[in-house]
Amino acid sequence: MQIAQYRWLWMFVFAWLNIVPSQARILMVDGAQLQAKLDAASPGDTVLVNSGVYSGHFVIRHSVHLLGKGWPVLDGQHQGTVLTVEAPDVEIQGLRILNSGINLADEDAGISINAPGAVIHHNRLERVLFGLYLRQAHGSRLRYNIIQGYRELDIPRRGDLIRCWYSDRLLIEHNRLTSGRDLIVWFTRNSRVAHNDIRNARYGIHIMYSTDCTVEENLLLNNSVGTYVMYSKRIQLRRNTIAYNRTASGFGIGLKDLDDCRIEENLVVDNRVGIFVDNSPRDVRSSMTYRHNVLAYNDVGLNLLSFVTRSQILDNSFIDNYQQVGITGSGLLQGNRWEGNYWSDYVGFDEDGDGRGDLPYRSEKLFEDLLLRNEHLRFFAYSPVIQAINFAARAFPVVKPQPKLEDPSPRIRPMIPQGLPFPEQTRAQQSRYPYLVLLLAGSVIIFLSARRTLKNKSRPADIHKTGKDWIMTTPPSSSRKQAFNIEVEDVNKSFGHHRVLSDVSFSVQEGEAVALWGSNGAGKTTMLRCILGLLPYEGRIQINGFDMLRQGKQARFHVGFVPQEIRFHDTLTVEETIHFYARLKRVPAATINQWLGRVGLLEARRKEVKALSGGMRQRLALAIALLADPPILLLDEPTANLDIRSRDEFLALLRELKEEGRTIVYSSHRLDEVIPFADRVLVLDQGKLIADVPPLEVHQYLHQRGMLRLTVDSSQTEQALHVLNEAGLKAQTNGRGIKIYLDSTQKVRPLELLIRSGVKVLDFDYLFQN
Amino acid sequence: MNVSWHNIGLLIWKELLNARRNRWYLFYVLIFTGLVLSLSWMGLAGVGTYKLSGFGRTTASLVNLTLMIIPLMGLTLGAMSLAQERENGTLLYVLAQPVSPTELLLGKFFGLSIALLSALLIGFGISGYLIALKGGTSGFTDYLWLLAFAFLLALVSLALGILLSSLFRKAEAAIGISVFAWLVLIFFSDLGMLATTLKWQLSIEQIFTLALFNPLQVFRIGALLSIRHNLEVLGPVGLYAIRHYGHQLAWMLMALLAGWVTVLLGSTQILFQRRGVI
Repeated sequence: MQIAQYRWLWMFVFAWLNIVPSQARILMVDGAQLQAKLDAASPGDTVLVNSGVYSGHFVIRHSVHLLGKGWPVLDGQHQGTVLTVEAPDVEIQGLRILNSGINLADEDAGISINAPGAVIHHNRLERVLFGLYLRQAHGSRLRYNIIQGYRELDIPRRGDLIRCWYSDRLLIEHNRLTSGRDLIVWFTRNSRVAHNDIRNARYGIHIMYSTDCTVEENLLLNNSVGTYVMYSKRIQLRRNTIAYNRTASGFGIGLKDLDDCRIEENLVVDNRVGIFVDNSPRDVRSSMTYRHNVLAYNDVGLNLLSFVTRSQILDNSFIDNYQQVGITGSGLLQGNRWEGNYWSDYVGFDEDGDGRGDLPYRSEKLFEDLLLRNEHLRFFAYSPVIQAINFAARAFPVVKPQPKLEDPSPRIRPMIPQGLPFPEQTRAQQSRYPYLVLLLAGSVIIFLSARRTLKNKSRPADIHKTGKDWIMTTPPSSSRKQAFNIEVEDVNKSFGHHRVLSDVSFSVQEGEAVALWGSNGAGKTTMLRCILGLLPYEGRIQINGFDMLRQGKQARFHVGFVPQEIRFHDTLTVEETIHFYARLKRVPAATINQWLGRVGLLEARRKEVKALSGGMRQRLALAIALLADPPILLLDEPTANLDIRSRDEFLALLRELKEEGRTIVYSSHRLDEVIPFADRVLVLDQGKLIADVPPLEVHQYLHQRGMLRLTVDSSQTEQALHVLNEAGLKAQTNGRGIKIYLDSTQKVRPLELLIRSGVKVLDFDYLFQN
Repeated sequence: MNVSWHNIGLLIWKELLNARRNRWYLFYVLIFTGLVLSLSWMGLAGVGTYKLSGFGRTTASLVNLTLMIIPLMGLTLGAMSLAQERENGTLLYVLAQPVSPTELLLGKFFGLSIALLSALLIGFGISGYLIALKGGTSGFTDYLWLLAFAFLLALVSLALGILLSSLFRKAEAAIGISVFAWLVLIFFSDLGMLATTLKWQLSIEQIFTLALFNPLQVFRIGALLSIRHNLEVLGPVGLYAIRHYGHQLAWMLMALLAGWVTVLLGSTQILFQRRGVI
């Protein structure tokens, strides 16, 4: 055996370390002899356990040093306590203790110590219900142990990873505990718990019925409660880092029924409640001191029961706690001394530069006041309405609550204790590159949308102009082979209670040019919009069998439309606009510039459409209407915005299009557009189709009513009225002239009557009524 | 539904192009990014000092900022969409082409959604980058959840904006009513709920159920859940929600927001069809 061969070396090492008294023996353990060697050992002997697995339950009955070499494993096989110490002054080091039982009633533990003076250090305990269980183990030292409980057990079913009962003068330091219940120190005096790292437990450190203990520089993370101290006196909590302790309790530090304790220089971060104080101090002759603590990012920084008094709360830093100070129960916290604290929500100033605010800090937020009435309101935390409420309370003192506390000299800057324990990596430090990907993705979208995605891919060189005139003489293609007709049956349309179309029925056959004629408001535009399927209506409209309400989209592939008022998307250029509509109509991009050239807009193709004149817009609209070489054209007052020359050219184009066999329906109120061009005229009057006639017969429908306005010399007004009324014309005067309502065919008659009567007519005009 | 994705795609591109040249949109992108940037910078100043980050000013302000700005962006951009085109006549002209109202609606919705997404990606990307740079400890996955909730909130508000837009002829009227809707969602509904809770002593279940009717509340719960993985910050109601719904809660909240989008878009489709282009 190699170790036996070097026995002299071990002896030398232990003698040098002054661990092994000169008369002590070293017993080597290998294989299954551990309990036998422990029993055979004398006080002061060293039992050196080689690496390997030792299953079973072991008891130390003599004051020995039990040392492991190469991390020997003591495996309890999930039954009972793995190792029990019954003798005083036992040292245990270098063991790996696994798999205790999980019976809470039996208090199964990794190591159970029932004698004073134990030194348990540098061991690893894994999957143990209780870790180190001390009873009457005064003066014991628990150092540098790593203890991990049963992670798979719910917290209430776990044991305490270190439990100390009735054991004074303990030193518990540099242990790392995870996935257990508590580190318990109960019924203990003069003990020190320091530099421990406790995570994912219930109460990180739980002290009860103890006096004169110090809890110092521990790191307590992600527990239900960081540390809870109850029913004790003269406990010092110093320089601990206590963070992320949440769940329903979620106190960083819980203090209950204590006297004369000092809570100093602790960093308490992101707990549900930073420090919770219940009935402390309890004795009227005692007090509690909270000094130089940092309470940051907690839901509630410091929460006190309303009857807590005689506490000194000095020089602490309250930083961005959602509620800096909370009260449980009704009342205020005026019986305590608040002074020199930093408050991140302080809105005062420090004019004299002494580091203290010149105005007192008052805790008087309305929402916090409301929370006292109903804790359920905490649901509205982090909601803008809470900010609004608090702002309103500041602005209107009538709803401002009574301040909970007043700090007469608040600090201007926080005081951060230095050298506190910090986790090496509380949570994995995150890479910043994924965020760059987000940023890039957003920028790429904007960049792509900024590109002229509707841009033409054909080149201007493809275009051959046909001359200065923008009117084309031949369409680019004539692929119309299918016959198209329009059927309108009993169409009614109302806007609210106003009937715009009444029982309109007509049909338009292939190749016909049909004019919708009537005065303004007759229903022409509405009729065209209904034909296009743009407005809901009653009745039936079909274009070559497509029902426009249900199949309007399919039908519109065969229809070109020019509205009365041409409006395009102002943010697009001419080129983008025509490409957009070409792609909607499934027209190849190659022909588009040809169209632009023929309507004379090639030079203007880079312009935004909002820069075009009315006539240019009309041309663009016509080019778009003709893009897909549609068999049907619907034109709404198409010449309304054109000058005389453009109008003549446009009508010539219509004639050409008609000769090609296109079906054209257009609205107009001008006879000079209707008579020379239309095959039929549909006369609309107040939403009713009153005639369907050849163009030359449309004159008979001109006797519309209107108002004749006459201006006569003021001295002849009475005479003129008399003459006109005598003739039955119901003339009226408004002081400036004479008004007569009559058919348009009768409008010359009043003039003749007045001239015959010697009344001098100075001016006249006739207005059609809509 | 007989819709052409060719048309919808084209309308999406057109909306993106419009948005890119829309001063309102650019204003929102700048404001949102600027605010997120400054908040992150100011809030993270403490991380270096205390070496521990918490759910403090930065995160709470981010949630609040998202809660206020994103609905305003979605509502106003949505409100402008149909009403403005109706007002200036382009709506009529587009629908006179071989395009169905459903395609137009979806094109507008998806186009503006992508535009909003880009604004969120930029804002959240910058903020996340800064947080990571300064040693923040939240995970990227949590951040993606928050972004997903924010995007869904944007979609809900956009859909509501488009619905309001379909009701009005004038863009000003639509924008006015959308700002009012924003105030209702942000302040008045919460104020009403707060007062009701105080007056009638509502139970935890009642408060939580009522909150689910307001998409902004749904977002707020989802956002806090994304960042914290629990809801103790919301007190007993938050604890009830976690205990009652467990791990399904995040998905349930997302489904609720998605449901809101569907209902609002469906209603818009009906109203838009009924009203027509004017």
